[in-house]
Amino acid sequence: MADQYDKLSWREVRELFRTWREDSERRSKDVVDLWESKLMAKIDQLGSEKYLVLEQVCIAALDCARHDVAEYCIKILKRAFPSSLRVHKYYAMHLEALELYDEALEVLDSIVKRDETNAAPRKRRVAILKAKGRISEAIKELTEYLKKSVFKFMSDQEAWHELCDLYLQEQEYSKAAFCMEELILHNPHSHLIYQRYAEIKYSQGGFENMELAKAYFCQAARLNPNNIRALYGLLLATNNIATSPKCPSSKKKDAIKLSEWAANQIEKQYESKVSDEDIKALEGLLGQLQLEV
Amino acid sequence: MPATALHKFITFIGLMSILHTAYSAAQHRSYLRITEQEFIALPIDVRIKLYLQRMAYKIFTKRGKIGYILIQGIISLFIVMYGVMYIAGDFKEIRAVVDLENKSWETLRNLPSFQIFSHRGKSLAS
Repeated sequence: MADQYDKLSWREVRELFRTWREDSERRSKDVVDLWESKLMAKIDQLGSEKYLVLEQVCIAALDCARHDVAEYCIKILKRAFPSSLRVHKYYAMHLEALELYDEALEVLDSIVKRDETNAAPRKRRVAILKAKGRISEAIKELTEYLKKSVFKFMSDQEAWHELCDLYLQEQEYSKAAFCMEELILHNPHSHLIYQRYAEIKYSQGGFENMELAKAYFCQAARLNPNNIRALYGLLLATNNIATSPKCPSSKKKDAIKLSEWAANQIEKQYESKVSDEDIKALEGLLGQLQLEV
Repeated sequence: MPATALHKFITFIGLMSILHTAYSAAQHRSYLRITEQEFIALPIDVRIKLYLQRMAYKIFTKRGKIGYILIQGIISLFIVMYGVMYIAGDFKEIRAVVDLENKSWETLRNLPSFQIFSHRGKSLAS
């Protein structure tokens, strides 16, 4: 893994960091390694991007438990912005990574006290509860956060996403589905969210939910025909509908047709991606899958 | 649809017509300057004028009839637009989701504000 980055110049590393930052990729190990080998020496040549990179490296270092790197980043940030609440948050995160949760909470509370509209420390509180494994308390905290209509936190997509994940951990599928509905309203064009919603509905089970799952998997596959997970989901959902005893015979036909279509699409996807020898093996495997469900 | 010679010809005619309109307008202004008349608006194009004058004269007043260069300009614009539409090649579909197609669930569900650090990273580093 390290070899693939060996030949990069520091400018290329800067570009790479930028794309990772924008796509919110969590390549913490790579970030820390590249920082130490390439960027650290050039920190002053980064210009205004310097502090963004430092923040990125700081979080990545915490993720890898490289406390020396994280401390270094926070020190520079603190020198540049002595009274910044944003830097305070990183300090709290560092405490959090050291498992000094109570101290971290104190810092976060002091930030909230100074700026009530600051969303980040409130989210960190939820993360701390999650890290402690107190999922139900985290859910409570997060719903409180989303309810604070004064600060318009209700339109915080990240929070809805997180709430959905927390509900899924607690296996409250209908509530998780509600969060995803909220996100669909925010991104009506995101195939991934449709796919996720369909998956939740599929996990919930039952004939009506299966119909819904089918519809949403269809929408995901329509928005992105290359979404293989949506196609597999469609295959499973339609097979499930076709074998359900509640299903009227007219719908059964449609479901079988759709499932055949999905299977064809999946085969086509594999054919376009792999070399000839592999296809045959995969086709065989797909045939087995259809028999099983 | 492939661009045929006819469409190229139509575009060519349209472009010529636009150039002609521009030339006529410039000529008219220089004519006005010589005769020391006040510039009000564009005059009728000489050739179209000959053709349309009789019936147009009743509709437009002496000042109003000066719309023909403008009309010629607009008509030739549409001709050019028609021709160019065929020459430029096929239209492409505007997809609202192109930038989303390359996103994966892994990056979408990575929420930086909710990251937690009590995971295996700790044991991997030491």
